[in-house]
Amino acid sequence: MALIDHDAELARAGANVSGSWSGMLFLARRYPLGAVGAAIVLLFILTAVFADYIAPYDPTSTNSRASLAVPSLSYWLGADFMGRDMFSRIVHGARISLTVGLGATLLGGALGVAIGLMSGYIGGWVDLVTQRLMDILQALPLLVLALVMAASLGPSLENTIIAIAVALIPNVSRVVRSSTLSLREQPFVEAARAVGMGELRIAARHVLPNTLAPLIILGTAQLGSAILTEASLSFLGLGIPEPYPSWGRMLSESAAEYVRTAPWLVIFPGVAISLTVFGTNLLGDAMRDVLDPRQRT
Amino acid sequence: MIKRLTVVVGGLAALMTVATPVLAQKQGGTLRATHRDNPPSASIHEEATISTVMPFMSVFNNLVMFDPKEKLNSADKIVPDLAESWSWNADKTKLTFKLRQGVKWHDGKPFSAKDVKCTWDALTGRAAEAQRDLIRKNPRKVWYSNLKEVTVGSDSEVTFTLGRPQSSFLPMLAAGYSPVYACHVTGREMRSKPIGTGPFKVVAFKRGESIKLVRNPDYWKKGLPYLDGIDWKIVPNRSTRVLGFVAGEFDLTFDSDITFPLLQDVKSQAPHAVCEARTTNVNTNLIVNRDAPPFDNPKLREALVLAIDRKPFNDVLVQGKALIGAAMLPPPTGKWGMPPDELATLPGYGQDIAKNRAAAQAIMKSLGYGPDKPLKVKIATRNIAIYRDPAVILIDQLKQIYVDGELDAVDTTVWHTKVQRKDYAVGLNLTGIGVDDPDVNFYENFHSTSSRNYTGYKNPKVDELIDMQSAEADRAKRLKIVGEIERLLVKDGARPVIFHGIANTCWQPAVKNLVLQHNSIYNSWRLESVWLDK
Amino acid sequence: MGSYLTQRALLMVLTLFGMSVLIFVMLRLVPGNIADILVDSAGIVDPVEKARIVKDLGLDRPIIDQYLQWIFGLARGDLGFAYVSERPAIEEIAPRIPVSANLALLALIYSVILGVPLGVISAVRQNTGLDYFLRVVSLSGLSLPSFWLALLILMASVQWFGMIPMYTSEPRSFIDEFLLLSVPAAAVGFRSSALIMRLTRSSMLEVMRQDYIRTARSKGASQTSVNYQHALRNALLPVVTIIGIEAAFLIGGLIVTETVFNIPGVARFLVEAIVWRDYPIVQNIVMLIAFVTVMVNFLVDMAYMALDPRIKYAD
Repeated sequence: MALIDHDAELARAGANVSGSWSGMLFLARRYPLGAVGAAIVLLFILTAVFADYIAPYDPTSTNSRASLAVPSLSYWLGADFMGRDMFSRIVHGARISLTVGLGATLLGGALGVAIGLMSGYIGGWVDLVTQRLMDILQALPLLVLALVMAASLGPSLENTIIAIAVALIPNVSRVVRSSTLSLREQPFVEAARAVGMGELRIAARHVLPNTLAPLIILGTAQLGSAILTEASLSFLGLGIPEPYPSWGRMLSESAAEYVRTAPWLVIFPGVAISLTVFGTNLLGDAMRDVLDPRQRT
Repeated sequence: MIKRLTVVVGGLAALMTVATPVLAQKQGGTLRATHRDNPPSASIHEEATISTVMPFMSVFNNLVMFDPKEKLNSADKIVPDLAESWSWNADKTKLTFKLRQGVKWHDGKPFSAKDVKCTWDALTGRAAEAQRDLIRKNPRKVWYSNLKEVTVGSDSEVTFTLGRPQSSFLPMLAAGYSPVYACHVTGREMRSKPIGTGPFKVVAFKRGESIKLVRNPDYWKKGLPYLDGIDWKIVPNRSTRVLGFVAGEFDLTFDSDITFPLLQDVKSQAPHAVCEARTTNVNTNLIVNRDAPPFDNPKLREALVLAIDRKPFNDVLVQGKALIGAAMLPPPTGKWGMPPDELATLPGYGQDIAKNRAAAQAIMKSLGYGPDKPLKVKIATRNIAIYRDPAVILIDQLKQIYVDGELDAVDTTVWHTKVQRKDYAVGLNLTGIGVDDPDVNFYENFHSTSSRNYTGYKNPKVDELIDMQSAEADRAKRLKIVGEIERLLVKDGARPVIFHGIANTCWQPAVKNLVLQHNSIYNSWRLESVWLDK
Repeated sequence: MGSYLTQRALLMVLTLFGMSVLIFVMLRLVPGNIADILVDSAGIVDPVEKARIVKDLGLDRPIIDQYLQWIFGLARGDLGFAYVSERPAIEEIAPRIPVSANLALLALIYSVILGVPLGVISAVRQNTGLDYFLRVVSLSGLSLPSFWLALLILMASVQWFGMIPMYTSEPRSFIDEFLLLSVPAAAVGFRSSALIMRLTRSSMLEVMRQDYIRTARSKGASQTSVNYQHALRNALLPVVTIIGIEAAFLIGGLIVTETVFNIPGVARFLVEAIVWRDYPIVQNIVMLIAFVTVMVNFLVDMAYMALDPRIKYAD
């Protein structure tokens, strides 16, 4: 993750991203895959936000006559063993995925930024200690760390978010730290220091904004892995508990019982997870291309 | 795809044998069975789950056992096992067993009356220092609360002394839960690689993977067992288990593993498979925390009892095949439950659901609840499908009486701890009954002194009646008292029973002589006379 | 160089030590301990029996004592006793390691065989339809949860072959073992191959822009030979790093895949042990994974140093 050291370049990239409709159109034409990704992510967010209006049924209400119903006009994606509408459950599942994905990315990001900034800016023994701590966290693969964290906190929505967030910290803090390290010596930071600006303010006003681009790139990628990690944890039974309709758990339950008798129960939640993560990955790639021209491909 | 080929060949072989007439038992072959999860340990006395009993019962012998050829366990169909014969004294308080001689434990040491004493001393907390560790937890302590002493007459004679007559005592000794342990084996061995006198020896118990048993060549029943061994493969995913069975990789499914939706699939994919539906004597019930608000109010418990409509549970969960009853398994398979016409007179069991619901609504309104002011309750249950699924239906039904239930899915490993702490308002629970017998059920679940009475239900009248029926030798009189207890339990809302479970167990046609019993799942797994026609 | 190695080795020990403390403390935060669970299977909780089990397992001792006992045991190669099976933890863990290792190795081979050539093709044909197609495929590979992919494979094999690859623990022939493992390995490997392909592609592109490639081209070397001889050789260097990243990535994939395919490997065992709160098993497997991860990273760095003469590690 290279950092962007030219303000002008950042400004240009920023303008491209947050610009007018024509700017967005331009971007979409230039990065068609990214546009597809953005569309998927937007769809995902809208589904999550308006789940109550989109879902035709209450995702938790049971109906004995619809048990294991095949996909049909009244049950678009079929119904599960308890006769709960699969489409409604998947729509509500988007909300869980978004909550956990965004929650973990933001929490992990915030902690990572704080640690990385502190580590890179203060340096010395603070840097040494935090870096060793990050070493420890990075000695385990993401899923294993999240697994152990989730198990030790106990299964709940909040704890799943915390577990994944902690597992995301090291990456963020490393990126921020390395940006900070090189920014610290930049002329504009020294200029700020020369006019008597406080160190904390320099860090917040000058250093942090300049680490934004790599952070956005990383954040998008991490949103995808947070969603995937949640799905995996729930699949293993250590993530989101009932009654929340989590895609991963829906998948593990139907996988345990209905692979043969009701394959649609296995297929659709998996499609939902894959499509969402695919969207964030496409968007993440495009973001990197836009924001980090040196990596442009 | 080598496997595929063997499946085809196996199928052909099966076809060819169908034509041949019934043969005498064949010796040999390994029974390949599936297991649903990792047994918590191999020590039957320490566990209360079929996960342990089913694979390990064939390692042991009892003193006596239920006639394995009978479809129903019953007190008058008890046959000798390690005990050659038994006799009661005049006042029915001393039960003396004559033991078989020349029986050896799997490690070659001789079996004697001392081993019987060791086992029951440990179960009643009277173990000598050396055997302290033999049994470190004891879920069926209440079974032996009437057992005062075990005395060794000679190497081949042992006497059980009871506090008062108890006609259920012998049936309890006949249960799959009552094997004889050895004095000289440690608890740790019993839990990991047990030693018994039974038809099969444990070769390996690989956690989460497999349990391997081989034929005990020195088995004291001459000519038995027929099988060379039994391979249990632990497959936690039910779909995978069923697929393996359908593909012919397994000869026997786990007990009651095939639900009714799955049965259709098995039948279509493996039309020759033998599947038997049987009542499990495991009932789905409600536990209500009667010591804490709001359900310390008996009116509220009454409303709860009235609100349950048993039919949708039955329809969704077991395609309407379940038996509806009170605490005891109802007829035809149950020996002590109420007949349907009598059952219908119990509160909440009448056919007119609308009337029951109206009554429940009236109670709720009188307590200040209503459509705009629902009672918010967490419905706790174990986080496994067989618990969770009925809980979801329950929540749905409780909406009708202004109860807004939220599912609290409890991590399965801490479920009993939570229940014991009374850390719940309403819980959905499953209760398995080891022997279809009033003593086993009532003493375990409803007597005020039982540690498994986790609702803390206390009714001196019920306690008295339980003791009364236990001491009663006449079946007709006893049945009447049992009915009276059932009525009181329903009225008090003590663990309202929703339905009694039913499920299918399947095996390949080559498996012969397997007899399942229809009033308990825990007593039919000795497997010594099962043989393979391959 | 020598002192660099010492420094790295010290850091590794430090990291592993930190991990041991972290995992030990985290496990003791878990709601519900092993005694609860052991007692729970009896269907009741008898406080006296529970207290005895707690004492038997040594859980009543101060946490520092418990930690020291574990860590000194570990240093001597004694992993302690598994709580559930009551057998030495090493006997429970050791037989499961080769299963996972074989699976991981096979998955790694798959992902390299698939990922590297596709990455090269994608880079050489940059911005063509083929490139776009391959990029979408690789991205989708990263997006498919491996447990879902595994399930789809299971469903397909049921549909088409009427059977499932069932992993049994009996000794089998090499070819049988290979066939059985190759299906789950493909499920894990597909996801990893996506990562390899993406990184191969970008490092290929990076190298192709370098001056010496242009030089080679201007000297008249054919396009193909430049691409494959010069560029690929240099691009392989970062691929070595990728394989390091892979190691961590693969372990995550193994956990879910072993669960789906019922493979008795060490990764699935970790999940089971977590559910059972079997601390001695969890602690030791986590340490094993940490050790493997840290070690692989170290070896990758060494390989990098050996392969790329430009990199010098100043003392």
